[in-house]
Amino acid sequence: MSQRWKPGRLEEHDLHALLDGEIGNAEKVALLERLQHDDYQRNELCELRNLKEMVKTAYDDLPLPPSLQAGDDATDHSRTGYGLSWLWTTAASVLAVLAVIVGTGLERGTRPEAARMVLLDPDGKGARPALPGDEEMRIVFHVSGDDPEKSDEILHEVEEMLTTYGAQGRKLRIEIVAHGRGLAMLRQGLSTQKEKIAELSRRFPNLTFVACMNTVERLSVEEGVIVNLLPEAIPIHSGVAHVVKRQQQGWIYIQV
Amino acid sequence: MLPFHGKRRLSNAFDALRPDLYRIAWSWCHDDTLAEDLVQETCLRALERSQQLRDLDRLRPWLLRIMANLHRDHYRRRRETVTLDEGDAEMASPEPGPVEQAERSATIVMVHRAIAGLNDDQRKVLTLVDVGGFSYAEVAEALEIPLGTVMSRLSRARAQLRARLAPQQMESPRLRRVK
Repeated sequence: MSQRWKPGRLEEHDLHALLDGEIGNAEKVALLERLQHDDYQRNELCELRNLKEMVKTAYDDLPLPPSLQAGDDATDHSRTGYGLSWLWTTAASVLAVLAVIVGTGLERGTRPEAARMVLLDPDGKGARPALPGDEEMRIVFHVSGDDPEKSDEILHEVEEMLTTYGAQGRKLRIEIVAHGRGLAMLRQGLSTQKEKIAELSRRFPNLTFVACMNTVERLSVEEGVIVNLLPEAIPIHSGVAHVVKRQQQGWIYIQV
Repeated sequence: MLPFHGKRRLSNAFDALRPDLYRIAWSWCHDDTLAEDLVQETCLRALERSQQLRDLDRLRPWLLRIMANLHRDHYRRRRETVTLDEGDAEMASPEPGPVEQAERSATIVMVHRAIAGLNDDQRKVLTLVDVGGFSYAEVAEALEIPLGTVMSRLSRARAQLRARLAPQQMESPRLRRVK
């Protein structure tokens, strides 16, 4: 920027550049001297400075989600003994899963990682707390056990709910979060509901299966297990943290 | 691929940048969950592609470019996924709930709404400069646009914000009725 500004007619961009510290010291002095004799532009600069401060302040105090806070992975460090941040361990798990998925020919499309690591809540609805009068029902099922009968039962109930709500034109959003032993439900080779999960995912876009990557990591690090997830499963760092967040957001919580 | 000590440095740098990334992501979408997902996904992508980063000094614009692309892809997917679209494909103006209203001042909510009303290009440039404190050159690199485009988008964004946040716009409806 310092090469761009030339003394002369004051342009609108000059004020922005001055405000944003994009002008070198010598040029800044020259510009400020000019402003001494230009009430209008000086007032403009003052208003722009207020605006910039207002914008910055509006986002200053955002609470950082627990999953993004440094030190959140302290227990993971001690457990894995790697001393790396959760990002590394999570990424390693994700890559391991992706590598297996690709290796077994299960990738979909040309960018499997993009398809797999989708962002939850594609429409952003889930971020809003459930408020009185909000017509959309949101339920999170927390699956932590590996009893196939219970998994069958929950899928059956979810299917009935989704069908009923759909027929009545009512909005319903369901997330099934699998963690710990419950991850078996979403694992290739272990899931007894593989076809059912695929069918439900196809039929109901408002149904999401979420897999806890902490569990995947633990299985790979502690037990040396290579985990293959079903293509319908959406990986998320911590299943438990996700469930807690959903409860805070007003979702109905059902533990399976 | 970065050597191990390079990865350690990268990981430490991520830890330091996560709050900034989240603040910027949130200012783009005004959505807790989406912002969190964007930051996590950005870090994961960055780790996957760490060999592309030759200079740690370029980390910030590099991460922002990844996050901006993810954000763009997110809305592209939304447009393509008709069944999931339940409203306007653009970012909704953040309507404060009762708790939010109690916790935030009216001015902050007003600023959020005004920024939500900008188009995505302008919003990204404005928030990167004003919220993230990025230089024009870094913004140009992150968004892959010319420096001049950064300046013109910033100028237009601020002009729109000023109009939206003009004193008469910030008066409450009740005050206007009393007049």
